Amino acid sequence: MKFYTILKAEFKLIYGEILRRKSALIATIIYPYLFAGFTLFFGYSIGSPQLFIERVGVEPIIFMITASNIVMSIITIVDDVLWRPLHNMYIGTLPYIIASPINRLELFIAIPIPRLSLLLITGFTSIAPIYILYYGLNGIVLVLTIISLIAFGALTMSTLGIVIAGLIHTISDSWRVLNIVRPLIMVLLGAYYPRIFMPFAAYIVSLLIPSSHVVEAIHGILLGSTDNLYLLLALAIVLALIYTPGSSKSLLYWEKRKVSEGVKTY
Amino acid sequence: MNDAVIVRNLVKKYRTKKRTGLFRSYTEIIEALRGISFTVNYGEIVGLLGPNGAGKTTTIKILATLLLPDSGEAYVAGHNVVKEASKVRKKIGIMLTVEKGFYGKLTGRENLEYFAALYGLDRRKSRERIDYIIKLLELDKLGADYKLFEEFSLGMKARLSLARALLSNAPILLLDEPTLGLDPPSARKIRELVKDLAHREGKAILYTTHNMFEAELICDRILLINRGIIVAEGTPHELKMKIPKLRVVTISIRGEGNGIHQILHTLDAKYEIKAEENGIYSVRIHAEKPEDIFNDIMKKLIANKFEIISARIEEPTLEDVFIYFSEGSL
Repeated sequence: MKFYTILKAEFKLIYGEILRRKSALIATIIYPYLFAGFTLFFGYSIGSPQLFIERVGVEPIIFMITASNIVMSIITIVDDVLWRPLHNMYIGTLPYIIASPINRLELFIAIPIPRLSLLLITGFTSIAPIYILYYGLNGIVLVLTIISLIAFGALTMSTLGIVIAGLIHTISDSWRVLNIVRPLIMVLLGAYYPRIFMPFAAYIVSLLIPSSHVVEAIHGILLGSTDNLYLLLALAIVLALIYTPGSSKSLLYWEKRKVSEGVKTY
Repeated sequence: MNDAVIVRNLVKKYRTKKRTGLFRSYTEIIEALRGISFTVNYGEIVGLLGPNGAGKTTTIKILATLLLPDSGEAYVAGHNVVKEASKVRKKIGIMLTVEKGFYGKLTGRENLEYFAALYGLDRRKSRERIDYIIKLLELDKLGADYKLFEEFSLGMKARLSLARALLSNAPILLLDEPTLGLDPPSARKIRELVKDLAHREGKAILYTTHNMFEAELICDRILLINRGIIVAEGTPHELKMKIPKLRVVTISIRGEGNGIHQILHTLDAKYEIKAEENGIYSVRIHAEKPEDIFNDIMKKLIANKFEIISARIEEPTLEDVFIYFSEGSL
């Protein structure tokens, strides 16, 4: 009930911010198309589709637009939990959030869900026509499965995202850190660059990211294999749960640091 | 126990970097609080009055669990602000700034709904409470239901800020300069509400302000804080009484000027006589206890055929008290 109340409040806040800010609304709608278009353009301009099919085993257009959606959705989770404390600090709402009795972990899990839901909807509209073009009516089932898995993968990223956000904000309040975290996660997820091709160290780090297992499951589905599907999803859940106590602690450290230096009240 | 807030020997130092060049800097330690102690009771408005940098906001922030003290103790509703912060947060309503602290693209009501969720109010309770508060603060008449926060005037923002502090119906309110920059009608409305909240609903209110008039008008007790120490404490009247030889008897009379000196020089008090138009003189007598000499002077003036136009004992203002205690003299 409590989480539902927070989630509802977050939905109202984010939808209010997006729907009432034209630039944000336009950006949200065109973002998936732009991202997928850019990825395809980039892929085609420097590589051979035939070679891609030989090496990866999937039609590059399908692979790339799916990868774009995966990355966008999962990065949104990390972005939102990283950005929100800074945003709250700039607009002066942070002291009221810290001085409120709300469960911090519940709040931070709820924070990225509204934007994720919006991205999934626009993502669906951007990739569904291409799936239908390639797979016919079966494409609808396939795209729904893929979008559901992306949603699941993004949600399993919450706890790790919160761990990262808490630690980063404990060290520094700079938004510039986002620019370092974002590409790292993008690469390590294995969405564009499948994990099997990664160097050993990156491969190991990638294994520790819950969503990367869901990404692997999605790649498997695109290749027509569901062999390890449940195992990969279970791994993602287990990892997300393992990070849960860490995410609580990380938020606690952040809050302690803010309180020890004094929350800015402007 | 009637103490809503107990503060004992609270000390807070800030370390700030002073830059002397591109790469050179040194750390300066500023003592924001140097061992302040006070209490606030339920049903009471305690004003924390002091110049800029006196330590008012630091005190509020510590009590609101937004800042850790270096030493000393503070209890809010019986809970230690450091060790039991989460319990303290359930007992306080805070108002820290007027201009900021809300989401610009949400209406006033939507903002309140968001913060009600943070306070754990369920849908029904939240709606009831928000309806009540919006009516109480007359925010409905100002369009808080449909206007976005970014379209609010400063007065509306202040009311919305107070509305948020009241959301959880907390028994203790910490209000940091709630009328700063407001126009007189908005400031008056806020003051009336604050008074009602303490005296009718029994809330304990710690109220910081620069405004002497306001402090005198609404505070039951005032703590004068300067450079991190409480320099004086009491009701507005008690504080005024603490200033030596400041009270003044002002008399306006008509008659022969030389006769006035003969009457006044017998008094053990300083006086000034100023000649005005049409044979009117303005007399100001400084006395520690003017009521003791007031009747005597009146009788002597009447006996010497002076026409009394007006006479009054002027109380020192709270501003005089403030300046006396913050600067050491008047």
